[in-house]
Amino acid sequence: MAEVSEQQKQQRAKELASELKSQKALLKKSKRQLAMVFDLNKCLGCQTCTIACKTLWTRDEGMEYMWWATVNTQPGKGTPRDWEKMGGGFRDEEPQAGKLPTRRDFGEAWDFNYDEVFYGGKGNSVHLQPSGDPDWGPNWDEDQGGGQYPNSFYFYLPRICNHCTNPACLEACPRNAIYKREEDGIVVISEERCKGYRFCTEACPYKKIYFNHVRQLSQKCIFCYPRIEKGVATACARQCPGRLRFVGYLDDENGPIHKLVKQWKVALPLHAEHGTQPNVYYVPPISPPRFDADGNIDESKPRIPTDYLKYLFGPDVEQVLATLKSEMAKTKAGGKSEILDTLIVYEWKSLFGPFTKDPATLEPRKV
Amino acid sequence: MICKKVAVAREQLIDPVAAEWKNVPAEPLKMDATPLANQPSEYIKASRDEKQIGKIRNLLVQAAHNGSDIFFRLTWEDESQNVDITDNNLFPDGCGILMPLNGGDPPIDEMGSKDWPVNAWFWRADFKDVARNTIARGLGTTQFSKQCPIQVKSTWGNAAWAVVFARPLAVPQQQSETVQLEAGKSVKIGFAIWEGSNGERAGVKSFSKEWRELALEI
Ligand code: SF4
Ligand code: SF4
Repeated sequence: MAEVSEQQKQQRAKELASELKSQKALLKKSKRQLAMVFDLNKCLGCQTCTIACKTLWTRDEGMEYMWWATVNTQPGKGTPRDWEKMGGGFRDEEPQAGKLPTRRDFGEAWDFNYDEVFYGGKGNSVHLQPSGDPDWGPNWDEDQGGGQYPNSFYFYLPRICNHCTNPACLEACPRNAIYKREEDGIVVISEERCKGYRFCTEACPYKKIYFNHVRQLSQKCIFCYPRIEKGVATACARQCPGRLRFVGYLDDENGPIHKLVKQWKVALPLHAEHGTQPNVYYVPPISPPRFDADGNIDESKPRIPTDYLKYLFGPDVEQVLATLKSEMAKTKAGGKSEILDTLIVYEWKSLFGPFTKDPATLEPRKV
Repeated sequence: MICKKVAVAREQLIDPVAAEWKNVPAEPLKMDATPLANQPSEYIKASRDEKQIGKIRNLLVQAAHNGSDIFFRLTWEDESQNVDITDNNLFPDGCGILMPLNGGDPPIDEMGSKDWPVNAWFWRADFKDVARNTIARGLGTTQFSKQCPIQVKSTWGNAAWAVVFARPLAVPQQQSETVQLEAGKSVKIGFAIWEGSNGERAGVKSFSKEWRELALEI
């Protein structure tokens, strides 16, 4: 074989890089983008969304520890534990190295003694409890929050895969197994192509991809696309009693998503600094006032440190909070606020854009 | 590299510690890191240092056939035995043999090409005694075939792996999926090792960066 010169090698490397770039561009392309807005002022931390997703999508073997939808108390370590410190994403468009969370970081699926307590006749003598002595779980630091009494604070942060416009997971996969659906921008993993290499999980700055240890492949939130295709909103959104999970197309000018994100600019992506252009947006939480040393209410400082909210949602969060406060002042003075009316959600179905169908009315799937 | 003709049955040679292997010449191969520039992922390129890739740099290869079956015995020193994927951040050890599927001179460092596919015989520690027959037509395109004509046995001891692959020389019913071999002919061949403790998987591995000619004795 003829010796390949250094120059030829570099030339070939360039060709390969540009081929890769055009392949990835195709996989990233989508005509429209589905998005969600979560209003953090309304989340109860009830985990109904979490369970709705679990019962619908992650009940199979190998999926026990998966929670595609999670809700964590902030400030807190989150799910997986300390995911915000695990790197990934992009800086100046360069991919950044990330860590792989362990199963313990996610929180193992505990085994409970259901048989013993419910069917073994020990209902009065034995507590329902996980086996072993777990010291971490997906919602372990619930309601701990931050701050010092009487100025302690917390809020809930629901998370799903952000179905990013520039997905770090898609960029990382050496098998082109991850792509955005052309019709709606949902990010999916082809189970046919995935070989369980887990570069996607390394690269995702949100750590929203799980490894299925039975099937040896990676799995993640699918934005309930089989429901979406039938005009039904995601399970987490429909089940949420707090009426805070909006679903719709980002470009639908009549839908609440477009208005909240683009027109009124009161919803912001989480940790946008990672450069993936997430498509889940958050209405940031408005703080109650602080107490001063004498126990009097001090309206001058927010209970939730603005710096913390900036860390999560970027510098624009100040403007958003100012907008929300001025809208509230408007209604207090007897005026009307379209923004607040939208966020209050008088009409449940107004959350779901074009996806208002009741799943119970659909024809059962033919098997 | 010679593939020695022996008169030993498959049942014996498939055993990685069989005494018969002592009579088969061993070829030491220097392994290299796969070139970072060829990784089909900008993330892999940006997050790895080529110097850290390909932890296993020395491989011993033995090849023999008995007229109907061909055998490869791969041995390499490895202090950490990485077998099962018990956690998200753990990766198994593995090894592979690469040959052009239909002859020609496919690029070994690009896993073949659209027109010149390659055939890999692949084993991973967590597969236990199961091998995979793989076809690739370029970087990131490997696919396991449904049927696998390859048998494998492995053992780890004294801080070293020994893995034996066995396959009929010819597999006429899978011509489009696995390389056809014949005594008296020679074939281009390459090798790869994945070191699990170093997070090696996919194209992140050590490999013999040029094709060797393997001559099958008559
Ligand atoms: S959140 Fe993570 S898994 Fe989801 S699209 Fe973005 S990078 Fe991919
Ligand atoms: S169901 Fe709604 S209110 Fe309950 S935790 Fe989820 S997002 Fe919050």
